[in-house]
Amino acid sequence: MSPWERRKRGGRYYTRSRKVNGRVVREYVGGGALGELAARMDAQERQRREEEAAAWREERECLEELAGLVDEFCEAVETVARATLLAAGFRQHKRGEWRRRRDQGTNTKE
Amino acid sequence: MTKELTPKNKLTVRPYEDRPVGCPPASDPAAMTKEEKEAHRDTVERLKELVEKAGKGDKNPLPEIRKILKESPELAWQIMDFAKYTESHHIKMMVKEEDPGLKEVLKAQLAFMREEIAGDNPSPLERLLAERIVLTWLQIQLFEDLYASSMPKSMTFAQGNYKQKMIDQAHRRYLSAIRTLAQIRKLGPAVQINIAEQQINTAG
Repeated sequence: MSPWERRKRGGRYYTRSRKVNGRVVREYVGGGALGELAARMDAQERQRREEEAAAWREERECLEELAGLVDEFCEAVETVARATLLAAGFRQHKRGEWRRRRDQGTNTKE
Repeated sequence: MTKELTPKNKLTVRPYEDRPVGCPPASDPAAMTKEEKEAHRDTVERLKELVEKAGKGDKNPLPEIRKILKESPELAWQIMDFAKYTESHHIKMMVKEEDPGLKEVLKAQLAFMREEIAGDNPSPLERLLAERIVLTWLQIQLFEDLYASSMPKSMTFAQGNYKQKMIDQAHRRYLSAIRTLAQIRKLGPAVQINIAEQQINTAG
């Protein structure tokens, strides 16, 4: 919906719509120069918010990517470390301490 | 105890280098083909599946785990290359292009940290774990820096919350990395057989 409302007498009136308690409330700002000025200020504010949102989106994507890379690396290292422990004859006790398996001697080769 | 299991002593101490002589040459993950990346991921995925099974007390996957570790001596080094690639992304974000000096200082500091954490004559597994500690530490620095630098600007509650969550996750990764290295060190040289042997194999 356009923020400009056309009056029966032919003039244009600038309005702002915002939500108050879930309902849209329309604020009547003014016509003529005042309306134009308010419209320009609102447009600038909108552009600033859009730019901020785009910058935040970009920063967030970048952070997600970095976190994803480190996650992938950490997971690979953890897998290799666990594999090495298991191959060397250890078992993890209740997701905590690693202990040598009872059936495993000091020789870890099969 | 086999000859390869000789505990560290002053005579065998070799200074920490990023890639000792005899190891597979460094690869650039950015230059890796899609097939190579997939093959690497498949190996890690397969290993992960087997580790999960073995972790539940199933002994059947153990021979295959040993086989993968033995037949893929390049695996640890590929993961290490991936760490370098990830590290460079972090540095790029932390340091502006017009400040190459600071970039070098940061790289040197990270190398020094790696060397200090890995200790003398580290096995590839220890190197990997040291690499992980340093990388997760670097991520914390980056995330905290970004959080602090956005404080004076207007930051919404949701944005602040999100950044705090990212910092918390990075902290968890860091602590987990330290814990794993501590566990490996506590268990002694026995757990370094597989990968360390491969190091000897590749060097020979």
